[in-house]
Amino acid sequence: MSELAIRRGAAPALAVEGLSYAYPRAAGRALEDVSLEVAPGEFVLLAGRSASGKSTLLKAACGLVPHFHGGEIEGEVRVGEIDALETGPGELAAAVGYLAQDPETQVVSTTVAAEIELPLEMRGDAPADRARAVEEVALALAIPHLLERAVDTLSGGELQRVALAAALVTRPRLILLDEPTSQLDPVAGDELIWLLRRLNEEWGVAVLLAEHRLERCLAAADRVVAMESGGVAFDGAPADFLAWAEEADPALTTPAARLFSLAELSPLPVGVRDARQTLRGIGVGHPPHIASRRVPHPYSTAPVLETKGLWVELDRGEDVRDVLRGIDLQLRPGERVALMGRNGAGKSTLLRTAAGLHEPVAGKIEVDSIALLTQTPGDYLVRERVGDELPGDEGMAALRAVGLEHAVDADPRDLSGGERQRLALAIALAGRMEGEQLPGVVALDEPTRGMDHARKGELVALIERLSGSVALVDQEATKATRAAVVVATHDVEFASEFAERVVLLGDGVVIADGPMEEILSGGWYFATEVARVLDLPGVVTPEQGAAALRGEPR
Amino acid sequence: MRSPFAYMPRRGPLQAASPGAAVSYLGAIVVVAFLYSNPLVLVAAGVAATLAGLLAGARTAVRAALRMGLSLALLIVVVNALVVSRGETVLARLGEWPLLGQVDVTAEAIVAGTSYGLRAAVAMVAFAVYSACVDPDRVLRALRPLAGRSALTATLVSRLVPVAAADAARLRDAARLRGPGAAVVGKAPLARRLLAGSLARAVDVAATLELRGYSLDAPPARNRRTASRHDRRFYAVAALVLAAATAGKLLGADDFHTYPSIELGLGPATLAVAAIVALSGLAPLRHARRRRAADGTKVPLYGGKSSRRRMEQGAVRV
Repeated sequence: MSELAIRRGAAPALAVEGLSYAYPRAAGRALEDVSLEVAPGEFVLLAGRSASGKSTLLKAACGLVPHFHGGEIEGEVRVGEIDALETGPGELAAAVGYLAQDPETQVVSTTVAAEIELPLEMRGDAPADRARAVEEVALALAIPHLLERAVDTLSGGELQRVALAAALVTRPRLILLDEPTSQLDPVAGDELIWLLRRLNEEWGVAVLLAEHRLERCLAAADRVVAMESGGVAFDGAPADFLAWAEEADPALTTPAARLFSLAELSPLPVGVRDARQTLRGIGVGHPPHIASRRVPHPYSTAPVLETKGLWVELDRGEDVRDVLRGIDLQLRPGERVALMGRNGAGKSTLLRTAAGLHEPVAGKIEVDSIALLTQTPGDYLVRERVGDELPGDEGMAALRAVGLEHAVDADPRDLSGGERQRLALAIALAGRMEGEQLPGVVALDEPTRGMDHARKGELVALIERLSGSVALVDQEATKATRAAVVVATHDVEFASEFAERVVLLGDGVVIADGPMEEILSGGWYFATEVARVLDLPGVVTPEQGAAALRGEPR
Repeated sequence: MRSPFAYMPRRGPLQAASPGAAVSYLGAIVVVAFLYSNPLVLVAAGVAATLAGLLAGARTAVRAALRMGLSLALLIVVVNALVVSRGETVLARLGEWPLLGQVDVTAEAIVAGTSYGLRAAVAMVAFAVYSACVDPDRVLRALRPLAGRSALTATLVSRLVPVAAADAARLRDAARLRGPGAAVVGKAPLARRLLAGSLARAVDVAATLELRGYSLDAPPARNRRTASRHDRRFYAVAALVLAAATAGKLLGADDFHTYPSIELGLGPATLAVAAIVALSGLAPLRHARRRRAADGTKVPLYGGKSSRRRMEQGAVRV
């Protein structure tokens, strides 16, 4: 069939039939008899837990599986009229674009313009055609101002857009995205989803999007495909998906759906707008917004971390920038604090300064003792046996603190993602504990990247243990064992699950600091889905929302 | 963290110039450094490379290269002073050293070492300016018709080097953040971990290249970029520098001997070559094109407050 016919939508954008696949030397199959179709111009959301086969399916649709990864494959994959199992990813690039999770590894050129132009150059397109295509796609993605920039000076969100532009510059009819928002702040994440929706509506690009944070994109989707153990467990409309997930896998439902479910309302909403409409329909209006008041901090103990007028500047190659500008902050034992803000707001720099990786240029910072887990826990793991990473009694105490004492003889590579993260934290804790007593501050930098909801639940439990909210392994929590746990995160829903206090940074200054319920119900971007649905001060979780809808006192 | 030598796009003449023009210009300065031993000419070449970098806005790269280059120069001076005992002016007798034998430090050996060190420093600064100001994508695109696959492989390597540098910085930080009770991490495990991480990243980048059509057997695409209006300037300056250096060499401008005693020629030819080479560093200077204001005076097209004020005054007169 001609390219024109494919563009007009004569064939499905993607047709998968009876697809089974095993990676080379893998024990089991990553995909098991998968069949699905994506119609031209359709926006399909791919849901499912980690390792359910979402990424592998996307790779099969763009030709990386099996052409790049090898392995054993059965079934059929067609992109338009092109057989993806016969055709390599290079030839498929004209029909399908692919965007992976980590934007760092998706750029191969030095400047943005060269990166976007590369696929056309590889195809042998004429210079004038390349110039026009680069300009068009840059305008469509609102990045013309980035064209002359070096790729290593871009933020994560900008880099993700550049990678998307390079995937779209050949004008494919199908775009595949593998958790593209996992490293983005709520603002950049929402912008990307709405950008996809616009491309879908205006250019007619079919979208197949794999995501864990469904509340962010469910409303934009036409259809949801849920995967489980390499197979398709559900395929249908977003509203039907929520009803299915409520029964089959509640971890896949959205906060707004959980709110409705707890409040025994129906139908379950696919987004904020949908939820508000339903509430209006049943006569639940919005009470007038009551200005929230600052709640005095409940702790009277001495701070374990204190900064006064903290200024930190970082040299970024060509410019020196003040990343923290006069931060005043106190953390007390047992506090669970979410440190939030846009990419580049200074969250990581604050934690790294507390851990001694950066020197302040002004002000002071005092910290009892801090264990910091950075964004890539794998960086801490350099040996092939857990016990070799953490020898002796101090090592065992640290393993006990994170609940990994049973894994002392395991190879870190055999641990699950969550266990590897806990092991890395134990490595940071080792020797900083006195007996079972934790260091004053335990800091985690973006620990939920790429995590599904179930693993986030495990992390919340660990944070509660470290902060002494629940008993440590075999002893009662006492004030002495409490650590202040501070977590830099973009994940608003996760923050609402573990934090009792939120510190919001903006361009290096603290722009809000208060109880979690107050901060996460007082905005648009840094607000939970339930807060956006109900717009009630102090109501951020489905449980709180359901109680409010039932008229229970808060 | 960004390397100080990483390319930074700017709107200066050196960045806008075609890779051939920029390489010719900076290469001419390096050629002078290797053609001459006379410290005055070498200092002039160093001034030229430094000026070129500063005028092109590559302040960080120049600073880092000067730091590294002068450290290397100092090392060369010290080694040469210890290893070479030739020369009439003995400054210190350091006695018998293992492997080196009798060590006499002479003024001639120090001056000779200075000459070698300056040469190395000039080359480093010129390379730093090249690295920070010449778009590697354009260089590789220019080379692609000659060796397409090699050029793309070089692109890949040039992309992976900063990524690996960032990985190494992260691993060092993680090693520093290990608790005192965790096993100490030596350099070997860190290097192994970095290598493993780099291989994993290389696989990801290779997958991206596949998706961008690397494996396609398409005819080589023609280059979109045309020559820059600044090219002529850089080619001309390169030709002038090379012509002056060659003529000076023939006229004895490189009159410099260190052994057995120091003889430094500072004749007119040497001074002329040094002046031309030093002034060549002004080539990346961005000069504003001028146009006539209403009163007939010349007004820059772009400029600071004074030019704006003059334009406003001109407008008032009209």
